[in-house]
Amino acid sequence: MAKDLMFQDEIKEAVRDAYAGISAGAGETVARWLYSDEELAEVPQGAVAWALGVGNPVRYALLQPGEDVLDVGSGGGIDSILAAKRVGPEGSVIGLDILEAMCDRGRAHATEAGVDGWTEFRRGEMEDIPLEDESVDVVISNGVMNLSARKSRALAEIFRVLRPRGRISLADLTVEGELPPEIANDQSAWAG
Amino acid sequence: MAERVFAAKLQGAGFEDVWVGGHRPSGIEEASYYPLFTEEVIELMRKTLPPERHDHVATGVVVKARKPADARSGERGR
Repeated sequence: MAKDLMFQDEIKEAVRDAYAGISAGAGETVARWLYSDEELAEVPQGAVAWALGVGNPVRYALLQPGEDVLDVGSGGGIDSILAAKRVGPEGSVIGLDILEAMCDRGRAHATEAGVDGWTEFRRGEMEDIPLEDESVDVVISNGVMNLSARKSRALAEIFRVLRPRGRISLADLTVEGELPPEIANDQSAWAG
Repeated sequence: MAERVFAAKLQGAGFEDVWVGGHRPSGIEEASYYPLFTEEVIELMRKTLPPERHDHVATGVVVKARKPADARSGERGR
């Protein structure tokens, strides 16, 4: 048990270090694979450049005006901003990220996008979400769940903060079959 | 994490109406755009994975689900 917990801490530290060490996102090339031209036109260029997701959870979330949204692992804020545009000022968006530097980027991009009045960014971990029970209508995330060494705990936390009938739209990578151990055990593959 | 494992974890957490869609193959070239993948790992992928997997190492998906109307927070998963 103690060894498992140590391993979990090592993974968390590796992920945090990997994200803290990068100086840019995946960039516009990747963003154009994931988002439409219309969607990209809604967000500041800085948020596009810092995109690090693997899908488009907002498109599938079918957000409605007035809904309260949590974006787990909000990064540079591209999905938080798109969500904020959908829910409008009657709703709210909270971007949650493990790194304060990412929260700062999200805040700057949200301000540039004009959605800062109903969008905030908080530092925190997906396994211990700093929100009250049943406080949001929708949880989105993009390429984040795979980074957790305690996925069941993270999902339980998402379940906790959702209101009854609340919904999730989570984009992530799945892998079928085995990867060679040299890749599966590499820290950057874990973080990526 | 395999798709079926992801779906099972959601059901285990108490979610219902689990849906998986938006499947999109993700290969080595795409991974190389992400700064989190070092050049060493990208090269390792090219060397160790068979060529037919280079364009499809993983699959991007979107998973949707809903919290039951009668669920109370903290009932599952902790």
